[in-house]
Amino acid sequence: MRIRSALAVAAIVTLAAACGGGGGGGETPSGDGQPVKLDFLSLAWQKESVAANKEIVAEWNKSHPDIQVTYVQGSWDNVNDQLVTQFAGGTAPDVIHNDSPALAGFASDGYLLDLTAKLPAELKSDIPQAAWDTVTFMGGEGEQGVYGVPFLQESQVIIANKKLLDASGVRVPTPDNPWTWDEFSEAAKKMTKDGTYGVAWAMKSPVNRTLNLALNFGGTFFQTGADGNTTVKVGPEEREVLQRIHDQLYKDKSADPAALGQGTADPLPAFFQGKFAMLPTGVYLRQQVTEQAPDGFEWVTLPAPKGVTAEQGAVSQTLSIAQDSEHPDQAMQFIAYFLNAENQAKLAKGDWLLPTSQKAESDPAITTKENGWDVATASAKNLVVAPFLKVNGYDEWRSKVATPVLQEYYANKISLDDAAKRLVEEGNQVLERYHR
Amino acid sequence: MTATVTQPAPRASRRETSRQRREMWLLMLPAMVPVLLFSVGPLLYGIGLAFTDARNTRVHQTSFVGLENFTRMLADEQFWSSFQIGAIWSVTVTALQFLAALGLALLLNMNLRFRSVARVLAVVPWAMPPVVIGLMWKLVYHPDAGILNDLLGTDVNWLADFSLALPAIIVVGVWTGMPQTTVVLLAGLQNVPKELYEAVEVDGAGRWRRFWNITLPQLRPVIVAITSLDFVWNFNQFGLVYVLTQGGPGGRTRLPMLFAYEEAFRYRAAGYASMLGLAMAIVVLAVLGLYLWRQMREAR
Repeated sequence: MRIRSALAVAAIVTLAAACGGGGGGGETPSGDGQPVKLDFLSLAWQKESVAANKEIVAEWNKSHPDIQVTYVQGSWDNVNDQLVTQFAGGTAPDVIHNDSPALAGFASDGYLLDLTAKLPAELKSDIPQAAWDTVTFMGGEGEQGVYGVPFLQESQVIIANKKLLDASGVRVPTPDNPWTWDEFSEAAKKMTKDGTYGVAWAMKSPVNRTLNLALNFGGTFFQTGADGNTTVKVGPEEREVLQRIHDQLYKDKSADPAALGQGTADPLPAFFQGKFAMLPTGVYLRQQVTEQAPDGFEWVTLPAPKGVTAEQGAVSQTLSIAQDSEHPDQAMQFIAYFLNAENQAKLAKGDWLLPTSQKAESDPAITTKENGWDVATASAKNLVVAPFLKVNGYDEWRSKVATPVLQEYYANKISLDDAAKRLVEEGNQVLERYHR
Repeated sequence: MTATVTQPAPRASRRETSRQRREMWLLMLPAMVPVLLFSVGPLLYGIGLAFTDARNTRVHQTSFVGLENFTRMLADEQFWSSFQIGAIWSVTVTALQFLAALGLALLLNMNLRFRSVARVLAVVPWAMPPVVIGLMWKLVYHPDAGILNDLLGTDVNWLADFSLALPAIIVVGVWTGMPQTTVVLLAGLQNVPKELYEAVEVDGAGRWRRFWNITLPQLRPVIVAITSLDFVWNFNQFGLVYVLTQGGPGGRTRLPMLFAYEEAFRYRAAGYASMLGLAMAIVVLAVLGLYLWRQMREAR
């Protein structure tokens, strides 16, 4: 009997330990004379970018002996799963690299620190309001706040095989005078001949791409009702880009069907072999093109086509501070240093993305004609806040509903009407869970 | 008179057994503590969570919601279609694993040259963690650089194709689980008494009859044990599929474990995910119970 009660006590202790496991953790506050220690989770992955990140951290550690930063390498593939676990376990890093779509969720979970009051004036004024809008979300208590510092932005461009482009005789678009979608489709048709396709859409992860492009025709995909609850909408504006890409694939047959299931960088070998002429993609892919292109392969960067507008949805890479960080002020100091104009130019160059810093934008390194930097940097002016950034539950909608539906639609397995119906109906079921 | 003599005896022996039992518990305690601490505790905690609206967030107050998660699960079509995929996956993989392993075990049980080398080679996949296996097969299936497309001269993106992805990962699953199944079957084969074969040989039975009438019935308990274990392992497979496809394309390889993982760690619904886990455990136990019960009854 006594032993049985002892066992019961053990079980209860176990349960209590398991239940109470959520809190606590973290390092003990540093005493006098001890340097403050910060963990910085970085998601840099391109070689030059990792080098730039580590270099800046090393410079900081050298000039700030009292605040020592440890570089922690993360990966875009699983960073959000990792953060959910680390936040719940109380072991999250102090400074967190992520992107704006992920911040909305973590901000409303209450895991991220609202930076509004902490931002140094210089940093705040160097980054335009449009970029700050991409990181402004509702926090855990339902208040608006700034939950990260945006520093790198991605825009869409078209990377083209110069030889095939010139041979087709189409007008070469410029940032001031881009192709319209009609011209783009026409050009793709002209370049399609002798087993060469005009264009290739790598649509393994089709949702963000599609939604960002849909803004060309004013397609927002989400609407917020009077009750403050968001629902999915797929009207004529949203259908434009869907239909046009589908037409290129199945009506004009000017798009390479083999690329459809591939990830962003996967079509490159076929691109170098001249199997297709144009690859619509993010600006950062230029890095891999320069690095991997065979000798003598000539390529150019073209601005993305324009619909009613040339607007594209902007997604920023961000640095945030964990709510449970014990040294938020020091973390902010580090971020301000890490993202000053000079360092932003370095990071942008390393990742082949666009800096948010207005001072960095004029850095000659990223306005040169070489490797299409001029076109890439010019596209920054078309970036607006992607509407889906503010949608609570977007991530679940994307992976449960939109990804399979769009993949099936682009694979010509379902019609546009079916796709629209499922995006809305199944989508609203998902979003319902997130209504307040 | 006899009663007075016999009465004290049982009392003494009862005291004896109760002391023995206490000692037994004491001896078992060191083994019980980790089991309670790391298995039973979290299990009970998980069951408890399944009836709350727990979320992996900082601002949420967890409260008891009764059967809400359960009713939601019943209406969750996505989960049931994932469950269906899980059923196809675990049954196919277990069956194919068994057939392939049986063949291999029979082969390795014969008097071959280099038999010991072959036996060692057959166990090699066992030594690899699922994540490594996943990465390796990802390279095999790679659309451009993969050895499979090279061999077949095809240009197929195996893991991204809607109809090929599930068969592709099933092949990997079979490959992964074959070693332990083979080893267990081989051990079983070596326990079959030689006399039985000699006896039927005298009767003039052929190879096939020997297999059907001696080997298979003798192996039966081993087969039942290993297929049921394989079934549980396969149903709970996570790492392999997580690395290979992450549940894609379009959820065609989203096994129920993956689904529950996403609920908890992507959408933060810890309470609901616990309910899904609980449901899976119950279904596995039920299927297993039915299977074992039938096998036992037939064996008798």
